[in-house]
Amino acid sequence: MSTGTNAKTAYPQGDTVLSSRVRLARNIDGVPFPVRLNATRRAAVNRKVCETLQKAGKKMRVIDMSRLYPYEAVALAERHLISPEFTSGTEGRVLLLTEDERISIMLNEEDHIRIQAIEPGLAPEQAYRNAAAYDDALDAGLRFAFDNRLGYLNQNPRDLGTGLRVSVMMHLPALSKTGGMSKFASMIAKLGMNVRGSYGDAASVKGDIFRISNQVSMGITEAEAIANLKTLAMQIATREHTAAADFVKDIGVRDRITRAEGVLKNAMLLSTDEMMEMLSWVRLGALYGLNGADPDAISEMFVSLQPAALNVTAGAKLTSAQRDELRAEYVRRKLNADGE
Amino acid sequence: MLCQNCQRADATTHLKRIANGEYTEIHLCAECAAALGVTDVFPGFGGGFGNLPGAAFSVTDVRRAGNRALRCETCGFTFEDITRTGKPGCPDCYRVFGEKLKPSLQKIHGRSAVHTGKIPNGASEDTLREHRITELKEKLNRAIDEQNFEQAAQLRDEIRRLSAEEAQV
Repeated sequence: MSTGTNAKTAYPQGDTVLSSRVRLARNIDGVPFPVRLNATRRAAVNRKVCETLQKAGKKMRVIDMSRLYPYEAVALAERHLISPEFTSGTEGRVLLLTEDERISIMLNEEDHIRIQAIEPGLAPEQAYRNAAAYDDALDAGLRFAFDNRLGYLNQNPRDLGTGLRVSVMMHLPALSKTGGMSKFASMIAKLGMNVRGSYGDAASVKGDIFRISNQVSMGITEAEAIANLKTLAMQIATREHTAAADFVKDIGVRDRITRAEGVLKNAMLLSTDEMMEMLSWVRLGALYGLNGADPDAISEMFVSLQPAALNVTAGAKLTSAQRDELRAEYVRRKLNADGE
Repeated sequence: MLCQNCQRADATTHLKRIANGEYTEIHLCAECAAALGVTDVFPGFGGGFGNLPGAAFSVTDVRRAGNRALRCETCGFTFEDITRTGKPGCPDCYRVFGEKLKPSLQKIHGRSAVHTGKIPNGASEDTLREHRITELKEKLNRAIDEQNFEQAAQLRDEIRRLSAEEAQV
């Protein structure tokens, strides 16, 4: 097994795997799904969950989604702490968040309860253990809707069974830029998994960042689903290493990497798309010793310099041009400090 | 709701995403969604289904099922409500309309798929016993593979005992 370029990052398989995430969907027995609940009944669900966690000694920040500015809500989605859908129709929706933001619980999303755990690098087992601790705490005080054969009864019939979605976010510049990702899609689908771009729309993946997730939650245990995804992620990482080893030898590719660094270190205005593209080149270069940038710091910039995140940093809704200026300034400062 | 692209057919694909710092929803009919390739990064492979809330239960299931009068007492949903919205109204719908939902669920999860995995605290004795039996059967298979026949015999006896208990209930 290739160890790739791990030495450059602080996290397990962190050169290719930016983060691991698990999500558990749960519902309270005898209570209609959130879409069928009025504000009063949604509030009752929120109260019950909060009380149960409190009794279990689990401390979490309580965020009433309806009190956030839209850009604040969107910034939470950009950081993958909530689903995009959770930013809309916020009435009666509450987000619970641990201080380190590794655990988030969405209340009254599609299901009553969605527990989510994120870990940096390839660590889906740890993420699952963290989520399961909160699941156990809630299970002790609530009666979850469950059926012997169907498993956890969740609103989307695709989430029956364990209600578990496990996913990894991977930075795959060499596979993506050499067209190797599309070859994977059919293989990944055959394994009951799904791959899609993490940022941007379906037509164009931004920053060569992909999310790979399991699609099967029935007839498979949590441990099996996690092990399967982990194996797949390692295989993809190996292929990325193989592809990248040749890719970065090409003078044209080296030129793109050094030019990208030049843009990021000097630009006065930087759009999200341009930032994503240039960061991807520079991160690839960093992993193969072509510049002095810190790959983990770039992983963080992919997330923290998204549009709504910048609004939150500024504490106000900025215009697109203002954001581009702020983004360029931040990247300039960061990369010039790192590289020298 | 009409398709935002052709303004003619009913929208069945609802894309929810964050674009440029804003939450947006795009509603497309099946044809436009396919033509625009917006169902997935790699259309035609896995995934994408999460974007199709109405697609899980199809209209043909309604016709096949007949009897539209039955209502779920917990949420008031009829079977037709489920096929119209693509989703049940509450957990009890799965129990009330179990037989009618079966063909659709089998389409999604495969014919023989049964939950294996975590069981909540509140699960009944029967559930716990059944899962225990499944676990023991897996262990039994492993023991036989490893030619550990002494352990296999113990496991077999334990399975028999639990199965007998189950039959009595």
